[in-house]
Amino acid sequence: MERPIPVKRNSLVLSAVLFILAAFAWAGWANFEYRKQAAERVLAAAPQAEVAQEAATGELQYVSPLIGKPAPPFGLEDLNGKKISLADYKGHALVLNFWATWCTPCKIETPWLIELRNQYAAQGVEVLGISADDIDREDPARLADEKRQIARFVQQLQIPYPVLIDGDSVSKPYGGLDDLPTSFYVNRSGIVVAAQVGLTSKDEIESNIKKALEGSK
Amino acid sequence: MSEPASQRVGKSALRIAVALALLLASFQTQAQAQSLTTRSATKPAVTYLFPEQITVPAGKPATVELHFRISPGLHINSHTPSDEELIPTTLSFPASSGVRLENAAYPPGTQFALPLDPATKLSVYSGEFIIQTRIVAAAGNHLVEASLRYQACDNSACMPPKTITVPIDVIGK
Repeated sequence: MERPIPVKRNSLVLSAVLFILAAFAWAGWANFEYRKQAAERVLAAAPQAEVAQEAATGELQYVSPLIGKPAPPFGLEDLNGKKISLADYKGHALVLNFWATWCTPCKIETPWLIELRNQYAAQGVEVLGISADDIDREDPARLADEKRQIARFVQQLQIPYPVLIDGDSVSKPYGGLDDLPTSFYVNRSGIVVAAQVGLTSKDEIESNIKKALEGSK
Repeated sequence: MSEPASQRVGKSALRIAVALALLLASFQTQAQAQSLTTRSATKPAVTYLFPEQITVPAGKPATVELHFRISPGLHINSHTPSDEELIPTTLSFPASSGVRLENAAYPPGTQFALPLDPATKLSVYSGEFIIQTRIVAAAGNHLVEASLRYQACDNSACMPPKTITVPIDVIGK
């Protein structure tokens, strides 16, 4: 005849099982909380853009959380190594145009920007072309090659306005710049009045330039 | 007739264990859902489909076709883009993986033009595409983490160049 298992030993086994399961449950909960907080931190780190439907036309439009706020300050080098900052253009209506040499839609958009910049220059409009091409500051030979590539693009398209490099370094406060071209329109008071992602039309760019010229002296 | 005390304790332990296991499973499902939500926000434009595992003769060249899928509405430059400034799609194998990539034959690109510039023809891949590779594997099991570099666009915007990992379990026999 089998001897019954003593109740004391059963309780010990039960406690051990419960402890292990509780540890698993705690680990699962901690993992969930950690991921949740990490995701929240990532979302909070950069202003998130949204796509919203325009009431008048029903078209989907890019809505940047920067609209109505001061343009995030930056200081970047141009192709000659000269430091240019946003503050240098205080009092201008600005188009901050993020682009890259590998971006075909940017190539289509740039001549429109040049024409509109020349058309509105007398009213104080300036375009700052900000290249988001990778920049390798560790390797001088590679850096020179990357600069050459950007310069070739500038020359090909005969860009007359300042072109700054290393746009990636300022992408975070501008919302991440996951798509190019992306432009921000800043009025004379330094406030972002419009933003645009992707290739739209020359008319839309002109309409945004007019917004940057309006409502600020 | 009442159950002996040891059996009652055993049954209670089982019930508690099942309840805790269900609770744990629920936490893990929630954690996975959170992870998927985060990943979907940065989902790559290109996904590696298959093969996950292959067996090839050790030390001899073998042909392996790698299958990829591009997200709908997007295209990537082919291996031979129409413009030298555009970034070609390129496959590479790490040098120390135990598997050598002898050759990669890329499919020809399809001619494509952006609606706002119909005159400029681009050479792109869209949908699914296959890269035919010739590899030589040493004897043994090798988890190769190959890389595919590409640059994706849709009709109006481009995303920065990206490199995805192509994991292949290569068994050299």
